[in-house]
Formats: sequence, C-alpha cells, structure tokens
Amino acid sequence: MTATFDNLSAGDVIDGPKFAVSRESIRLFCDASLDYNPLHLDDDYMKGNFGKTNFGGIIMHGMNNFGLISRMITDWAYPVGAVHRRLETRWVKPVRPGDTIQPTGIIKAKQTTEKSRWVLIDVVVKNQAGEKVATGEALVEFPRDLFCQ
Amino acid sequence: MAQAEAFETDFWKDANLRKVWDDIVPGEPRKTIPYTLTKEAIELYCKSVGEDHPIYFDEAYARTTRFGGLIAPPSIHILLMFSCTPADDWMRSPGTVNAGQSWSYNIPARPGDVITLQARALDKFIKRERLFVVHDNVFFNQKGDVICSGRGWTIRPM
Repeated sequence: MTATFDNLSAGDVIDGPKFAVSRESIRLFCDASLDYNPLHLDDDYMKGNFGKTNFGGIIMHGMNNFGLISRMITDWAYPVGAVHRRLETRWVKPVRPGDTIQPTGIIKAKQTTEKSRWVLIDVVVKNQAGEKVATGEALVEFPRDLFCQ
Repeated sequence: MAQAEAFETDFWKDANLRKVWDDIVPGEPRKTIPYTLTKEAIELYCKSVGEDHPIYFDEAYARTTRFGGLIAPPSIHILLMFSCTPADDWMRSPGTVNAGQSWSYNIPARPGDVITLQARALDKFIKRERLFVVHDNVFFNQKGDVICSGRGWTIRPM
C-alpha cells in the first residue's frame, strides 16, 4: 500500500538501502565530498590516539551515514509527494572498511499544523553485527497539495 | 576528477594556519567562498552514497516533477561545506571528528546554482576531556533563497 499521511501509523517501518563499506567507497566519498581528513585515508595516522579514543585504522565519514539516511528518506518521500525537511544524527560507533551498514526508519509520530502535515521518523543505522552505528530523527512534510511522482 | 584537482586534498598542508580550539571565537563569521554547483559534482556525490533517483540525473523526467528540473539531493551540503570554505578553515584540521549534525531543508540546490555560505562557530565547550566546537551554517543560492541550514558538533584534534 502506498504511504499517505492518513494511513501512516506509529511503528511503521521504512527499510533503507544496504551499503557495503570499503576502502574504495570511503575514497570515493572523499572525492565526492572534498573531505580528505586523514581519519579516512591514512592508516599510519590512525594508529595514534585521539584523546582517549584509538580507532586502530581508517574509518568511514560520519556524513556517509548521513547521506545514506537522507537517501532512504527521499526515496520514501518522493513517490508519495512528501518532502524531506530535517535530519538530525549522532554517530554512535565507528564504521570501518568491510562493514555493511543499513539505515532503518520507524514512524514515531504525526502532527498537523496550521498550514501543513508532518511525520517524525526515528532513524537508526546498524552494521552487519546488528550494532547501532548512528541514530537520528527525520522530519518529513506531507503538503496538502500533494504532487505525486 | 576535475573538482578534486582544483582542491587541495592534502589537509596537512597549511595545517599550521588553521585555528585551534583556543583560537576559535564563537559568533565570529568564518571566511567562505562562492561555489558553482555542477551536474558532474552532483552525480559524483550521488554515486558515493548510491543515490540513483532520476530526479538527480534525468532532465526529461525531472521536468515532469514538482521541481521542474534537475535537483541535487538534500544532503549535498556535505560537499558544499568543503567547497564553500577556504583551505585554512578549521573544519579541515586533520583529526577533526564529527560527533553529529542537524540540517533543515528549504529548497533544493540545482546544477548551475552559485552557492554561498554564511557560517560561524556558535559555541565551544569541554566535555569528558574533549574539546567541542558547535558550528552553524546557512547555504543560499544566487537569488538569496535559503537552500538549507544546519548545525554540527565537532571534537577538535588535541
């Protein structure tokens, strides 16, 4: 069934895309985002300590999680004429080459305002071991003048 | 890749010119530079996160949608953050760890847009012996319309 504002319920699940993380995918994200921080490129540098943290090797950009969550939200919203309005995220655990990550959204609440309609979505990204690597919350608008694509 | 060639990819170069946590003044504007967003840059970004919706690639399709033409994915601000800031910006300091971000989206960025950024550190604090800076950003198109606005929490290198 196509999602509409009226038929959505708290607890409904949005399955996001699986994403295989590799040295190549991380390097591509460097080129695409222009974020060449050595955290994502330099294994020798990553042997060192960052305050109390030691990552032990290069890690994926946190914003790669963000981009993947955003892709899940827009791919869900565009066909039903809804608009991705906000995304807030926290990184919980580093993601490394060899990991496979997948975002999931769970409808949390619906709200109607004076001029529009809104859906709040809890977001979690998990790795292949089922561990949370990122959490967040998204806000999607369902305008009253829906323009389905 | 054309854009990567024009961009200094060695973040160690000029690292000594960048502000450390002690130097950053909350409220003080960051230097920014206008950036022309190209279709190629959008396509490369899309490839890096697996975006395959035709609204980003297929002009004929995009014209039939509410957007009336090609757009960039909302999360294109990830690229814009680095393309609209100069090499001595403290966001490029090696070892800067991103702790989380929140972004609000108004209208999409489009290929050909000349994007400008208004940005500043908004706050800095110490928590569990880590040095945090909160940064605050708004991206505009060439008409002065807000594309998106967002805030990020970074842990500064020590």
